[in-house]
Amino acid sequence: MDVMGKWLALLGLIMWVGMVEAEAEEAFPEVQIVEPFIDMRTGPAEGYPVFYVAQKGEWVAVLKRRTNWFKIRTVKGKEGWVSLDDFTQTMSSSGQPVVVDDGSFEQFAQRSFEFGGSGGVLESVPSVTVFAAWVITENISTELSYSQALGDFSENRFALLSVTHTAFPEWRVSPYIRLGMGQIQTKPRANLVQSGEETRTNDLLAAGIGVRYYLAQNIVLRLEYQNLLALTERDENEELEEWKLGFAVFF
Amino acid sequence: METRIRSIFLSLLLLGTSGVLMAQENGSQTGVQSVIQPDLKRRDINESGIDTENVEVGLFVGVISIEDFSSDTLLAAKVAYHINEDFFVEVNYGQAEAGQTSFEILSGGAPFLTDDERQYRYYNLSLGYNLNGEVFLTDTMAFNSSTYFTVGAGSTDFGGDERFTVTLGAGYRLLLTDYFAVHVGVKDHIFNSDIIGEEKTTHNIEYGLGATFFF
Repeated sequence: MDVMGKWLALLGLIMWVGMVEAEAEEAFPEVQIVEPFIDMRTGPAEGYPVFYVAQKGEWVAVLKRRTNWFKIRTVKGKEGWVSLDDFTQTMSSSGQPVVVDDGSFEQFAQRSFEFGGSGGVLESVPSVTVFAAWVITENISTELSYSQALGDFSENRFALLSVTHTAFPEWRVSPYIRLGMGQIQTKPRANLVQSGEETRTNDLLAAGIGVRYYLAQNIVLRLEYQNLLALTERDENEELEEWKLGFAVFF
Repeated sequence: METRIRSIFLSLLLLGTSGVLMAQENGSQTGVQSVIQPDLKRRDINESGIDTENVEVGLFVGVISIEDFSSDTLLAAKVAYHINEDFFVEVNYGQAEAGQTSFEILSGGAPFLTDDERQYRYYNLSLGYNLNGEVFLTDTMAFNSSTYFTVGAGSTDFGGDERFTVTLGAGYRLLLTDYFAVHVGVKDHIFNSDIIGEEKTTHNIEYGLGATFFF
């Protein structure tokens, strides 16, 4: 109960800080409506009802953005959510149409970061990967990934630093190749430790080929085959194959 | 005579209406001129000036029923990224300490697991789908809400091993403000385990309350 009390107190404090912050007067950017009217909804999704329309010529303050919805405030103090399509038809104070990130394919070409995850199969064992990529040029990006594959006999974890190359960045469905290096750790299952197996860490080389597909607003899908070579201290190196399907969001 | 009176009347009427019209025109002209041009400085819009709130961060407190072991207090954290109004991806991490199996309690014998092995920890990467809605608390007070479903994959570290885990979840998010939400949620963590001898698929169901912020 004492833990619960502390938790509640913390929650209260966070809320209070939040409120104080919200009360502070902020200067919001403003846009002018040039269409005959725009719909204002009660929430940031298509399903929410339109409760007010802001008219042509009105100046509205832009309070925040959630996904592809913008919260605006009219001069009369009405606050509501406007869709990205409507919002891009407003005008800025310099008389220019408003331009914002819409996660389009054009913007995808200009991205600088990607984050994502994937699921797959590493030598018939399920694997999970998270990754972050830095896009250097439209063709080349560098990527840091961390994977975990959990089998019945052992657990593999590996981290890779790799470089990917896309020959046709302007294609929506675009093939790419990957070369990487890193480390792999293989840990035997707890019930096998007694039989003399122990945790091993080895250097790892990776080569992969894949296809990425720009799906929609901010999302990219990837299908990839990767061949991994663990440089063991035994006579033979260990070769591993991995198939994976994943997604990435870009900024 | 009659025609003359009528024509005078009509010409008077014509004069009158044109006068009124002219007056109106003058009025509207002076109206425009009399408005003082406000010296307003509009804050120009640019992308970085808009506060984007797509990331949701929060904590959960609940109970998890660990199969074959007891039900225990669970503490979890989550970070979600909202891709669009319908879909989000999230990373969850949670931990609990498993109690004793019924066998351990009844036999009074040696425990199955060490204290360290009793630590139940999981993480998962999930894809979520929102069903957006609104709640009318009173006639004038409404809150946005969403019911959501998640499917995820990750790992559970329990009994000395990490196991590949599939997670199915459902939850309800009530947005008290635009950026603060309370949640109630249920999740099932499914993984194969051989802790009590034979290998089997276990279902470990958690439910809990949470609070999240949008950044």
